[in-house]
Amino acid sequence: MNKILITIDGRQLEAKPGQTILEVAKENGIYIPTLCYYAATRVVGACRVCVVEVENSRTLVASCAMPVSPGMVVKTDTPRVRESQKLVVELLWSAGDHNCLVCESNGQCELQDLIYWLKIEKPRFKIEAPGYPLEKTNTMIQRDLNKCVLCGRCIRACNEIQVNEVLDFFERGSKMKVGPAFDADYIDSNCVFCGACVDACPTGAIVNKQSRFEGRPWDLQKIRTTCGYCGVGCQMDLNVYDGKVVKVTGNKEYGTPNQGSLCVKGRFGMEFIHHPSRLKTPLIKQANGEFKEADWDEAYDFIAGKLKSIKKKHGADSLAGLSSARCTNEENYLFQKFMRTVIGTNNVDHCARL
Amino acid sequence: MKIYRSHLLICGGTGCHASGSLAVKKVLVEELDKRGLAEEIKIVETGCNGFCAQGPIMVVYPEGIVYMQIKTEDVPELVEEHFVKGRPLARLFYKEPTTEEKIPTMQEIPFFAHQELRVLRNRGLIDPENIEEYIARDGYAGMAKALTEMSADDIVKEVLASGLRGRGGAGFPTGMKWQFASRSMGDMKYVLCNADEGDPGAFMDRSVLEADPHSVIEGMVIAAKAIGSPQGYIYCRAEYPLAIHRMNIALDQAREFGLIGKNILDTGFNFDIEIYQGAGAFVCGEETALMTSIEGKRGMPRPRPPFPAISGLWGKPSILNNVETLANIGQIILRGGAWYASVGTEKSKGTKVFALTGDVNNVGLVEVPMGTTLGTIVYEIGGGIPGGKRFKAAQLGGPSGGMIPVQHLNAPIDYEKVAELGAIMGSGGMIVLNEDKCAVDMARFFMDFCQDESCGKCTPCREGTKRMLDLLTNICSGKGKEGDIELLEGMAALIKDSALCGLGQTAPNPVLSTIRYFRNEYETHIRDKRCSAVVCSALFKSPCQHTCPVGMDVPSYIALIRAGRLEDAYKVMMRTNPFPSVCGRVCDHKCQSKCRRGMLDEAVAIKFLKRFISDNAPRPKIEPVPVTRKEKIGVVGAGPAGLTAARDLAKRGYKVDVFEELPTPGGMLAWGIPSYRLPREILNREIDDIRQLGVDIRCNVRVGKDIPFDKFLKEYDYVYLAPGAHKSQRLGVEGEKLKGVYGGVEFLRAFNMNEAAWLKGERKIGSRVAVVGGGNSAIDAARTAARLGADVTILYRRLRADMPAAEEEIVAAEHEGIKIEYLVAPTKLVGEGGKVTGISCERMILGDFDSSGRRRPAPVKGSEFTLSVDAVIAAIGQTPDLSFVSEGSGVKVNRWSCFDLDGLSKSKTLHEKVYAGGDAVTGPDTVIGAIAAGHRAAEDIDQAIRTANGEPPYAAPPTENIVIPFEIDEETQERPQAAMPELDAHERRKSFIEVELGYSSEEAFKEACRCLRCDAEI
Repeated sequence: MNKILITIDGRQLEAKPGQTILEVAKENGIYIPTLCYYAATRVVGACRVCVVEVENSRTLVASCAMPVSPGMVVKTDTPRVRESQKLVVELLWSAGDHNCLVCESNGQCELQDLIYWLKIEKPRFKIEAPGYPLEKTNTMIQRDLNKCVLCGRCIRACNEIQVNEVLDFFERGSKMKVGPAFDADYIDSNCVFCGACVDACPTGAIVNKQSRFEGRPWDLQKIRTTCGYCGVGCQMDLNVYDGKVVKVTGNKEYGTPNQGSLCVKGRFGMEFIHHPSRLKTPLIKQANGEFKEADWDEAYDFIAGKLKSIKKKHGADSLAGLSSARCTNEENYLFQKFMRTVIGTNNVDHCARL
Repeated sequence: MKIYRSHLLICGGTGCHASGSLAVKKVLVEELDKRGLAEEIKIVETGCNGFCAQGPIMVVYPEGIVYMQIKTEDVPELVEEHFVKGRPLARLFYKEPTTEEKIPTMQEIPFFAHQELRVLRNRGLIDPENIEEYIARDGYAGMAKALTEMSADDIVKEVLASGLRGRGGAGFPTGMKWQFASRSMGDMKYVLCNADEGDPGAFMDRSVLEADPHSVIEGMVIAAKAIGSPQGYIYCRAEYPLAIHRMNIALDQAREFGLIGKNILDTGFNFDIEIYQGAGAFVCGEETALMTSIEGKRGMPRPRPPFPAISGLWGKPSILNNVETLANIGQIILRGGAWYASVGTEKSKGTKVFALTGDVNNVGLVEVPMGTTLGTIVYEIGGGIPGGKRFKAAQLGGPSGGMIPVQHLNAPIDYEKVAELGAIMGSGGMIVLNEDKCAVDMARFFMDFCQDESCGKCTPCREGTKRMLDLLTNICSGKGKEGDIELLEGMAALIKDSALCGLGQTAPNPVLSTIRYFRNEYETHIRDKRCSAVVCSALFKSPCQHTCPVGMDVPSYIALIRAGRLEDAYKVMMRTNPFPSVCGRVCDHKCQSKCRRGMLDEAVAIKFLKRFISDNAPRPKIEPVPVTRKEKIGVVGAGPAGLTAARDLAKRGYKVDVFEELPTPGGMLAWGIPSYRLPREILNREIDDIRQLGVDIRCNVRVGKDIPFDKFLKEYDYVYLAPGAHKSQRLGVEGEKLKGVYGGVEFLRAFNMNEAAWLKGERKIGSRVAVVGGGNSAIDAARTAARLGADVTILYRRLRADMPAAEEEIVAAEHEGIKIEYLVAPTKLVGEGGKVTGISCERMILGDFDSSGRRRPAPVKGSEFTLSVDAVIAAIGQTPDLSFVSEGSGVKVNRWSCFDLDGLSKSKTLHEKVYAGGDAVTGPDTVIGAIAAGHRAAEDIDQAIRTANGEPPYAAPPTENIVIPFEIDEETQERPQAAMPELDAHERRKSFIEVELGYSSEEAFKEACRCLRCDAEI
C-alpha cells in the first residue's frame, strides 16, 4: 500500500490512502475534539466540532469526513479553529437544558467535556431549551430531548449497528428532533429496547432509567462479565454501586462477540440479581414437602444418586435430558455427551427446539 | 400541412395562467368559432413569454403585434377589429410607463429590445407540448450532431470552449464537471437535472421547463453521451405542476420519436430520463441532498469529498446540472463553443436569465448577455421603479445572496463582479427593492427563510441561523443592543467558515451584505429605535409620525379634525411643531410618502389638513415663561432652526437672545420662500408667538461683524449657530460676473428685501429669464420672475423625474406658463457691455448612474445653442456662509462649508459650548429638518447644562390630556386626495397673493376621513 505524507500541526506524518485526517491525528496522538463521530458508523460530519484548517481550503473542514491527500497541510490548533469550535459548542449548550446538577450523565458527558476543554465560561446566547416533555412511558430508557445535541449517533447506532431502523430525524431547522416514526414514544414504536442509543448518546438525553439516581458515574465500579442470558457470551460491564448492580453497559473495547452491543435482556434484565426471591443455593425437597437449602456437593450427590437408581430400576431410556439455550455450545455438547455415554440414552433435546 | 392566415400565440406560462390566459383562450376559441374564423386562424398556447407583469399576453403573427393584459371582455372587440376589419386594437398595446406611448410590436418594447435570447430563444414562439415545433426550430439538431459526429471528448471540449458555467449559481465550469465524470470509472453513471428551484422570487427554471422542455432533454442526452450515462433524472419540485406536466409530455414525445430510450437515432446509444418530484425542501437543491432525496432518504447534504463525479447518486459517478445550464447545451453543440463565448465578459461567457421581480415596473423573465449593467436591467428592461419611488438595491441570489445598492447601478453583472460586491449570481432571482424596504427587515426575512429551510444536520446552520435570526428580530422590534452588529458579523464569518453545505455557508450573506451597505440602518434601529423605511412596525405607532423628523402626531390631529375639535388639534400640533401654519404650506411632507393610504389610492393630504387646522382653529394663547435659570443662551440666525431652539430653551426657563443679520426674522421662510406660497403675516404670527414666550430677537445684527464672534462666545454660556445656507453655488461657466446674472437665493432675497421697488418696476429682471436648476429654489425664482412679467425658461440637465423640486411646485410652474427645458446645461453666459444677453447651452444625454441612482448627464456633441436672455438665475444649490466664525475659536468648518459636529452628537460642534444645526450643518434641507435640528439642539444644550451642574435631567411639565377619538369607516372606498383649491393661473401671474386657498370645512372633513388610523392598537 502506498503511503501518503501529510503535515499536521507542523509534524510530518505517514498516512494510508483513504484515512481521514481525524484517524491519522488519533494514530499520532494529536487530539481533535469530536462529538457526532461514532466509530463503526457512517461518517456524517454534522456537528462541526472536529473542524481543522487545511491549507488552500476555502473553509474549515470536518476532520472526521475529510480523507487525507498527499502533501496536505493541516492545523488543528489555531484561533480560527478554536473560535469556530467555541461557537458550535456554545450554540449547542444554549439550545438545550444542559443542567448538570441533575443530569445522569454528569461526569461522563461529552458536551460537558468539550465546554471544559474549550474553556468556555458561559455561552454568549441566552439558554433557550425547547421544552419537550420527558419521555416516561417505559421502564428502561428515559429520553429528555431538551438535552439532545442532534449529533445523530443514536440514529446511526439504531440503523447501522443494530439495524433496527427505529430512529431518524424529523422536522427541520432548529425544530429538528430525533425519534421513532411519527414522534411516537419508544414503547409505542418498533423499538426492541436494545439500548444501543443509550450507549451512543454523548449527553444525558437518552439514559438508563433503572439507574436514575442510583449512583454518579464516578461512584460506579465497572465489572466486566459475560451475560448469562444466552449462549452468545456477550461481554458487558456491570456498574456496581455499593455492592449493588445498578446498570449494565456495553463496552466496545471488549470486542467479540458483541462489539459492545447488548439486547434488552442483557442490558435491562438485571432486577433478579438483588431480588429477595432469588435462589442463591440449591434446594432439596424434604419428605414433608418443604425445601431445604443445600450446598452444591450435596445437591450433585442427590442428583447422581437419583439418576443411578432410576437407571438401575427402569433402564437408561427411562431418563431424558433437556438442555438450555442459555448454555454455550460447549456446555450443550458436554450435556448430550453425558446423556449418551454416562446415562446411555439418546433421549436428549434442547429448549430451542420448542 | 394546413395553412392559416394568422397564428395567435397566447402565453400559457404559470404567470399568465394566473392572470387568466386560459379563460381568455377559451373565449377566443368561441369567438373565432362564432365568426367562422376557426379555419383561418390558429391559436397556439405557448410557454412563458417573459413579460409576466403584462399578462395575459398574446402575439399575433405574421404581423408580430403584441396584445397585453387581455381580459375576456376584450375578446369580441379584439376579434372584430383585428381579425375581421384588419385594424389592430391599439387599446391593448403595450403602454410605455413614462411616455404613455403605445407600442405594437415586441422588438420595439424596451423590455424585449435589450434582451439577447439564447436559453429562451423559443419562449412564446412554440407550443411546448408539440415536439415538432421544437424540432422545426433546430431542436435536437445539436443532439444529433453530438451522437453521430462527436466523441465524448469532443463534446467536453466544445462545452469547455463555450466557457459555460453552472447557472445554478455557483458558476463551476460545466465542461470541467463533465470531464471529471467522463474520466470516472464505473458501470453506471447518472445525469441529473436540478429543477428544484427554490429561491424566493426565482422562476427561471420553471419558465424554461414550461416553455421549452425539449431543450433540457436535449442537453441531458448530450451530457449523457459526454460522460457515458444510460440514465438521467430530472429532480423537479412538486410545486411546479405545469412544468412537470409539460416535461412528462415532452419525455413521452421524445421517447416516441426515438430521441431518448434505446438505440437513439440508430447510434446504439441508450439513455432514458425519469422525473423525480421533490417534496418542497429548499435544501434539496444542494447537490448531495438532492441525490440523497432521489435515493429515497431524508434530503440532507453529505460531506464532500467524495464528489458526485466520483461517487454521486447511489454511490455512482454522477453529474448534476441546472435547467438553464442544460438548456444552453444543444445550441452550444450545434453552433459551437466559440459562438457561445462571443458574448459575455472575460470570465463569464454567454447570457444569463434573470427572474426580475419586486419593486420594478416590468416584472418578468429576462435574458441578457453577461456583463449587462444592473442599471440596464432595472431601468431599460425593467422600466424603472413604480410610483416614482427610488431604487434602493437589487437582491441577487436569494437567501444565499446579497444586495447590490444604488451606488453600483453601473456594475456589469457577471460572476466576478457580483461576488466582489458581496452578492452571488445565484440561480438568477433578481429582486428589486425600493426605498420603502428596510435592509434589516430584508436580512431578517432571508434569515427566517434559511432557518426554516435548514435541514438541521449541522450545528452552525441549525442553531447559528436561529441565533442570528433572534438578533435580527430583536433589532427589528427595537430590542437591539450595542454590539449586536459586531456579534452578527462575527457569527456570520464563523458560520460561513464551518457549515456543512452551501445553504449554511451562504445563509449569512444577506446579513453581511446589508451590514456592508446599510450599516447606518442597523445603527438607527439599535440606537434611535427608528426604521427609516418605516417597515419595522414595532418601532412606531404610525408611519406618518415615524417619518416626520419632529414626530408630529398626525393621526391624532386628523382624528380631531374629523371630530370637529380644531382647537385640540392645534394644541396637538403645537406640542411638536412651533410652525404648523408654515409647515401646512411649505413642508415637503415626508410623512405622506410613507402614508399607508398611499398603497390603496393616494396618501392622505396631511400637509393640507395641517394648514386647515392652523387657518381655522382659534390660536392657542401663549403665556410668557419666566426666566428661572442662570445660564444665558445666544442664538445666531432667526430661521426655523434657531427660533425652534430658542423657543424650547425659553420654555425651559432660559434667557435666550437670537441674532439675525437681515431686517426681519424667519430665515429662508421669509427671504427665500416667496409670499405666494407663504404669506408673511402667517409666518410672523408664529414668530410673534416665540417672542411672546420671552425670546429676544435682534435683527440687523451680524455676529462676527457687529459683535465680534469671540465676544459673542464670552457673553453667552451656551451658543447655538443656525445661520442657514444663503449663498448660491456658482455655475462654474464663463460670464458669471456679467450684470443680470443672479444666484437663486440672492435674487429671491433682493426681491423680498424691496418688493415694492420690483413691483413698481424700479427694479427689473427683464423680459426673458433663464433659470438654471431643478430644485425648489429654481422653481421659486422662476415663478417670482414670471410674476414680474418675464418669460421664464427653466433649464435642467436631467429629466423631470430627477428634479429635486416638489412635484406640485413643478406643476404649478407649468400652469403659470413657465417653460422647462430638460436635458440642457449651460456652457457659457454671453454678454454685451457687461450685461448678460444670452446663455449658451448644450443638450445632454443620460449616461451612467451616479451614486444617488440618477443617470449622469453627458453633453451631446454639436448640440450647442444659445438662448437670448435678459437675466440668468443660477439656482443649482446653496452653501452656508460661515465666514462669521473666527478662526481659532475651536468651531470647525468642513470641506462642504458646513459645521463639523463632535463624534456621534447631532448638534454639538467641536467647541464644548457651541452647538449648531439646520442647513449650516446638513447643507440645504427642509423646514421640518431645521425645526427638528432646533429641538435636538435645545435638548442637548439643556442636557449639557444640567449634567455640568449635576442636576437631574429635564422633566417636561405634564401636557393637557387630550382624548383622541377613534372613529373609522366600516368600509374604505377608494378615492384620491381632495384637491387643493387654487387661485386661477392667470390671476397668479399678476400678483403675489397666496396661490393655494385652503380646504373648506367639508373638504377637510372628507379628507380627514381618508385616514386609516395606523396608530390604532387593537
